[in-house]
Amino acid sequence: MAGFGNPSQAVYSTIRELVENSIDACEDAHRLPIIDIRITSELPDIVKVIVEDNGTGIPAEHVPEAFARVLFGSKYHQRQHRGTFGLGVTMAILYGQITTDSPVIVHSRNQDSRGMLYSLYIDVEKNQPIVKHSEQVDRDTEGTSVTVALKGDLKRVQDRIIEYLRMTSISSPHAQISIHIDEEPTEKFGRWSEMIPSPLLDSKPHPRAADMELLRRLVQAQSGKRLQDFLIDSFQRVGERTSSRFLKFIAFDPNRQVDTLTRDELGRISSAIRKFDGFEAPESKSLSPIGEKEFSGSVRSVFNTSTLYYVRRGPSEWQGNPFIIEGILASGDDFPKSDIPTLYRFANRVPLLYDPNEDVLTKITKRFNWKRYNISSSIPVSLFIHFCSTRVPFKAAGKQSIGSVPEIEAEVVSALRELGRLYSKRARRMEKAQRDTRKMREFSKTFQQLVKFSAELAEYPETPSTSHLVKQLFEVDTNE
Amino acid sequence: MNENQRVLTTLTQLGKMILDPILEDKFPSIKIPDRGTSNIVFDKEKNRFVLGSSTSIRNSSNIKHIRSLTQLTWVAAFAKQLTESSRTSSLRDLYYSSEAFGIDFTDQSESDRIVTDLECVTGLPRESFGIFPEEHSSIYGELIMEYTVPDYAGREIDLTISPDGLPIGPALMTANPVHSDAEIVLAVESGGMFSRLIETKAWKRFNAILIQLGGQPPRATRSIMRTLHDSLGLPVYLFTDGDPWGMHIAQVIISGSANSAHVEGLTIPDAKWIGVTPQDIEHYSLPSEKLNNADLKRLDELSRDIRYSGTEWQMHIDEFRRIRVKAEQQAFSRYGMDFVVDSYLSEKIP
Repeated sequence: MAGFGNPSQAVYSTIRELVENSIDACEDAHRLPIIDIRITSELPDIVKVIVEDNGTGIPAEHVPEAFARVLFGSKYHQRQHRGTFGLGVTMAILYGQITTDSPVIVHSRNQDSRGMLYSLYIDVEKNQPIVKHSEQVDRDTEGTSVTVALKGDLKRVQDRIIEYLRMTSISSPHAQISIHIDEEPTEKFGRWSEMIPSPLLDSKPHPRAADMELLRRLVQAQSGKRLQDFLIDSFQRVGERTSSRFLKFIAFDPNRQVDTLTRDELGRISSAIRKFDGFEAPESKSLSPIGEKEFSGSVRSVFNTSTLYYVRRGPSEWQGNPFIIEGILASGDDFPKSDIPTLYRFANRVPLLYDPNEDVLTKITKRFNWKRYNISSSIPVSLFIHFCSTRVPFKAAGKQSIGSVPEIEAEVVSALRELGRLYSKRARRMEKAQRDTRKMREFSKTFQQLVKFSAELAEYPETPSTSHLVKQLFEVDTNE
Repeated sequence: MNENQRVLTTLTQLGKMILDPILEDKFPSIKIPDRGTSNIVFDKEKNRFVLGSSTSIRNSSNIKHIRSLTQLTWVAAFAKQLTESSRTSSLRDLYYSSEAFGIDFTDQSESDRIVTDLECVTGLPRESFGIFPEEHSSIYGELIMEYTVPDYAGREIDLTISPDGLPIGPALMTANPVHSDAEIVLAVESGGMFSRLIETKAWKRFNAILIQLGGQPPRATRSIMRTLHDSLGLPVYLFTDGDPWGMHIAQVIISGSANSAHVEGLTIPDAKWIGVTPQDIEHYSLPSEKLNNADLKRLDELSRDIRYSGTEWQMHIDEFRRIRVKAEQQAFSRYGMDFVVDSYLSEKIP
């Protein structure tokens, strides 16, 4: 199972899936997330994870379906998400069930109930939930807590989990996260901002994102439609005019019934749709960048920074998917000294901690010419890159590294250049200011000596003050 | 004491020149004569080379000038202290003293240059402020001098008192010649030759007061030679290595250097360079070395130098360029220890 490859990664992935699910749920309900995590390891090898949120809760009757059935992601609609539509949570629950033979416990309260407690298994063969136990148990406030027991190695991954939460508070600065591991003191991250990201609207896929698989499923779901209507209804930014032009381009009859299209014909449409240059750029209303104020603020809250620069690139597009790059370059004593900035990666507000060397962001950062922008090991600098898109080209199912896509690479490089220019401009300016002050101090000191010795020579009883003369001289200099 | 008073007044005036504008909220500046070789001209009246009219201005409001101007003022204040307390300091001492006053010199050559600046500005030689170079030349011969410095004033000294010769320091420089039986002054470049001439009693044979120059001689040495020449009427002969550098040692004694063109009482226009000339090298078949690039470059510079415009000097330069070799004074040793005295100097000194 992706992300559950070894006992330590399994603990990390379980927490990650539950936390992301919870923040997503709160955001959908337009609430400031309060996420509380408790981890206990009473038995060796067995780790119990409880993640509690203050979301709107889940209607009692939907709980078994939502947690104990492996759903396959819908592709009819797209928007930026942290997790993959609850799929990851189900994987975590399944992993816990397989390794410890214990059920997932879900306790949720929504506006219609005072709280229902479920104990659930997944029937793997039938892909159906098995309700082991359910009862009405009051819960103080709306929200959901999920308890999963799994076989895992907590000690080895504990630091990574803390780092993940700290970074999560940077990419979701409106969340308040606390974690309590065994008997250790509670650690808290955030909240750094009261700004809840605006709710995202689902959007239809962009035609350039239509591969064979998607086309086939769309056709199945909308059988009986005319080909032109099918195009208009299925895709964003396609209307009468665009669809007519496209059909002319591929020489298809607009009145063809979509269910009569052969596999071969669908293939022709799929490849032509990518070549046609008459489509408009994809919509970006379904993207949620962190934002300059929030992103800068959260980095400043977590690290001691002396200078900080933010840039944003896009929306741009890769294969019909809109994307935005946000970058922050910050200097400060907290960061390690190195010839290249220390990189923190984020995809759709999720911090990426594993597989850095596989990631295109790491590759670009390493080969970028930082020296050109006055960045060297003398001043520690860190780089934060947030990539957000309706689809992230992850390299593997573990969702820890972003793959190489030329359009993304180009935008990242541009973002780094912009950051580099901002940094070096300021660095040069500060250097000059320092040089000027030093010059004036030296001049003032030397001039004072000149006055002192000339007064001695001239047998003048005192050394006259000269600060106003020096000041005047340097003021004139700066006006020039 | 009158001399001292004059020095003190000059230094006080310099201080006022700098301080007065400051008291009026203005940045002071001073004019310093340019000391490049292009700014030395021959003064027929004085029969020596003097600085020309080119000057440079040091303005205290200029960030590039303030440092050297402050250094100059400090050197002046330091000189004033020396003069007031009748003490002396070597150039090296002065360089090290600067630190105690928070004055920064990159190296001694910088502080030496500033001392020369002060000479140019005040028109007084550094010796009158009690500032002397570290290195000493030596003197030996039948000559009685009388000291004028405090504690020794009135005491006489016989310059044959030590077989090593006597170092020429501030005290000897200001001493007055009382009596001498010598007929010439013979200045030689190296210490080795100086010792040879004392040991072989050549000083007696030529009736000479011997002076060891030791490269470019300190001003005190030039000054004492000038005194012997002027007050005793002794002709001065200069015996140096046979290369452009040795030739120039002689030239500086005869007509002065750019660096001290502003100082009176140093040049001896009548002094004669007896060798080693390029013609000597050929004539005596002296062991020689090839002229290197630096030597040849120096010859080029000297050939354009106004002090070498005389036909005899030009001939020497041309000869060096022709034979392209050089020889040291000691090269005469190839003909035995006494050759230089018995043959060479006998021929050169009438």
